[in-house]
Amino acid sequence: MTAGGWVGRAVPVKEDARLVAGRGRFLDDLAPGRLLHAAMLRSPHAHARIVSIDVSAAAALPGVAAVLTGAEAAARSRPIRPLIPTAVPVNDWCLAVDRARYAGEPVVAVAAVDRATAEDAVDLIRVEWEPLPAAVDAEAGARGEAPLLYPDLGTNVLWHDTLTYGDVDGGFARADGVLEERFEFSRYASTPLETFGCIAAWDAGTGGYTFWTNDQRPGLTLAILAESLGVPQARLQLTCPDIGGGFGNKRRPAYLLICALLARRAGRPVKFVEDRRESLAALMQAAGGVMDLALAYRADGTLLALAVRDVTDEGKNLISPAQHNLIKLGNIANGYRIPAVRYAAWSVLTNTCPSGANRGIGKPFMCFAIERAMALLARRLGMDPVELRLRNYVAGSDMPYATPTGATYDSGDYPATLRAALERFDYAGRRGEQARARAAGRLLGIGIATSVEPAGTNLASYEIITGRRAASGSAEAAMVRVEPDGRVRAALGDPPSGQGYETVVAQIVADELGLSPDEVDVARGFDSATTPWLYLSGNYSNKFSVTDTGAVLGAARRVRDKLLRIAAHRLEADAADLELRDGAVAVRGVPSRALTLRELARTAYADVLGLPPGEEPGLEARHAHQNPLARPMDASRRVPSQLVFANAAHCCLVEVDPATGGVKILAYVVVHDCGRELNPLIVEGMVHGSTAHGIGAALLEAFRYDASGQLLTSTFMDYLKPTALDVPDIDVGRLEHPSPFTPLGAKGVGEGGAIPGPAAVANAVEDALARWGVTVRALPITPEQVWRWMAAAR
Amino acid sequence: MATRLTVNGEPVEREIDPRRSLSDFLREDLGLTGTHVGCEHGVCGACTVLVDGESARACLLLAVQCEGAAVTTIEGLTPAEGLSPLQEAFRACHGLQCGFCTPGMIVLAHELLALNPAPTTDEIREALAANLCMCTGYVMIVRAVARAAAAARA
Repeated sequence: MTAGGWVGRAVPVKEDARLVAGRGRFLDDLAPGRLLHAAMLRSPHAHARIVSIDVSAAAALPGVAAVLTGAEAAARSRPIRPLIPTAVPVNDWCLAVDRARYAGEPVVAVAAVDRATAEDAVDLIRVEWEPLPAAVDAEAGARGEAPLLYPDLGTNVLWHDTLTYGDVDGGFARADGVLEERFEFSRYASTPLETFGCIAAWDAGTGGYTFWTNDQRPGLTLAILAESLGVPQARLQLTCPDIGGGFGNKRRPAYLLICALLARRAGRPVKFVEDRRESLAALMQAAGGVMDLALAYRADGTLLALAVRDVTDEGKNLISPAQHNLIKLGNIANGYRIPAVRYAAWSVLTNTCPSGANRGIGKPFMCFAIERAMALLARRLGMDPVELRLRNYVAGSDMPYATPTGATYDSGDYPATLRAALERFDYAGRRGEQARARAAGRLLGIGIATSVEPAGTNLASYEIITGRRAASGSAEAAMVRVEPDGRVRAALGDPPSGQGYETVVAQIVADELGLSPDEVDVARGFDSATTPWLYLSGNYSNKFSVTDTGAVLGAARRVRDKLLRIAAHRLEADAADLELRDGAVAVRGVPSRALTLRELARTAYADVLGLPPGEEPGLEARHAHQNPLARPMDASRRVPSQLVFANAAHCCLVEVDPATGGVKILAYVVVHDCGRELNPLIVEGMVHGSTAHGIGAALLEAFRYDASGQLLTSTFMDYLKPTALDVPDIDVGRLEHPSPFTPLGAKGVGEGGAIPGPAAVANAVEDALARWGVTVRALPITPEQVWRWMAAAR
Repeated sequence: MATRLTVNGEPVEREIDPRRSLSDFLREDLGLTGTHVGCEHGVCGACTVLVDGESARACLLLAVQCEGAAVTTIEGLTPAEGLSPLQEAFRACHGLQCGFCTPGMIVLAHELLALNPAPTTDEIREALAANLCMCTGYVMIVRAVARAAAAARA
């Protein structure tokens, strides 16, 4: 039965049925015939010259099929081209050549009959190293006082610039006061439970390659593979199966290249799947950094100007540097009406794991700094932090609001979001509870943080750095097809990693074609040979609502229009008099004059003489949608780096144990507004999960390096993830202000709580420790840190 | 090493390399890919299976250690047709996102409900804290287990 109106309903998630039975198909579940398994020799040093490599014993080990050194990789492939060209060209191959630049960097790869044999072979490889001093301090690198990763470059700074929007100097001159503070953000990662993996197979007949991988951004990866392997894209096929979590982390084209080169050498398919240590030490970490923030304000709390100095520790990230800097322009003023903003950025290489995309990229740090500053300013002014925020929000009546940096806040009512959260949290009641607990000697704290949540990255923003436009905008492609038997199938260029796209795409298509979501099959994952895709395609930047919905809707509407044209011809009716419902096209009000999708498909595919004159056979349509808010950079270097803005307010109550320094979250309320919720069940889950990431960053997670660049937290026993005992029962409320600029009024919800979560928890812990005058400047707030604060105060 | 064990009720007799982990044996030798491998150092619990009815980390056991044991995986907890009540509860509550931790979580929850048919929310959280989920923040997983327990009592 069809009721229509599927979009917006909490439809059960289609993919869950297979996943609860262990019937998902993940990368490591795939095993083409004659498969070999790869293992890597990785640099034990953060920075070292490779003097010599002897692989003879490894190559001779029974079961070993191929060995690949960096020098051989460099001879057989081209370097991976950086997204931002460096001042002097420097080469980055899939394996280290001559020099290793972080502990864990792949140096030699081995393919063998099984992983254990490949690891045995790795143990037989002899490398002579000449250790070099390691650069581990990004600020020293910014000052030019660190060892150089690429001596030819002459610097570790990949990008430095100062961007000024509005009258910043005037704002500071008019101010009654300036709050200046320094904040640090640790490296952490969302660590999808499935690690990164890939399989490459070489076709000796065509010279092409087939890849299977859990890569989140296949469009960009295919471009890199074609260029590095020197093979036309038409001879590459890339398939994504079910992806076991992504959060931005699931990308490493180098591993696909390594497997391709091994596969070509061995003449057999090669699989590589990271083990957890490899994933933690060498895949991708959110960039850490240091931010100096100055906030100019009037005595009544009105904000006048903001100046930010932001040094980003990129690690050895030559490929996609500065993204943690650039993306902060999307939420630098958060939800506040700050008319003037200055942003000074440094993107600095260090001898640590490459930084990369991680749920929110840079925005959690930006939000942390702003929301910490708001808490500190409220304290300084003797104001309630709620009152300070309400004084400064962009109002609902201001929408759409042009931000100083060139973005558009499309819709929403930020004060209403906060008020709804306070009511749900019982803010007044909780303050009373806190006062009573404090009187009894308990350390309770209340934290508030609010956020805008940008979605959809406009790649034209890189013009700020390069001065020229390469990739730009934000777009996605989709396909909808009525099969010859009348059943509907859809595919999307964005491979999901847990967001339930098979369900939401089915909801959208069902509404357009008069079906129920159960009657729409959505292709699992991605297949470059059958899925429509763009260079911009992929599961990133929170873009589903911004672009993907439009692609699906457009393709479905084309199919719908064609169904109506064919039916009008066959029923000898006017298309305007027809309606699509219950799997058939009928003359409105005359249900007996109807043709089922199966009958129409038969005309379209088989009985094509029954088509209207000039109508193309088949019932398949493709559509790509680009979001209309994306624009090029203007003469003032303003550019909408991100496109559509959800918003949220987080309120939490924590208790600090004075004996252990441990922090327990007693209550956590989120009220969020992601526009129209396409499937509230999925949305609620995303809010919980993203908030848990924020809590992990606030209290537990940090990649810590010692002075020599050795990672000290490389297992889940020392890199701590939140468990069911750390994450509270997050209570979620919602407002819905649809976006006028997305096809269904939806906004991003994937990054969600990861952005304000760290600030909300930090603000609460600081409030709990108010009697000691503690200021939280860095995360995570470990029991040791709390104990040190208390010890220092006593 | 010649090893005999029972997997999901079926007797299995194999020559197994002594260093092969139970998880690799299940996944690669028996094709039971519902058991997932997330960390290989015993923390994440994605590989949780039942060994003689008790939950165990398949990544930390050698297959040859299971000589004579009865091993149950997610495949063994899934009916031939449809889903188990616990699996239905996970589905109804959307107690998962990417689904990679899910088989381990369901095996763990199965053990919990066998030992304690009416757990409190705190008891559910304490039991589930053995395994990691990176997607859900656990809220809907807790709901799913509570729902399954309530349904079993009804």
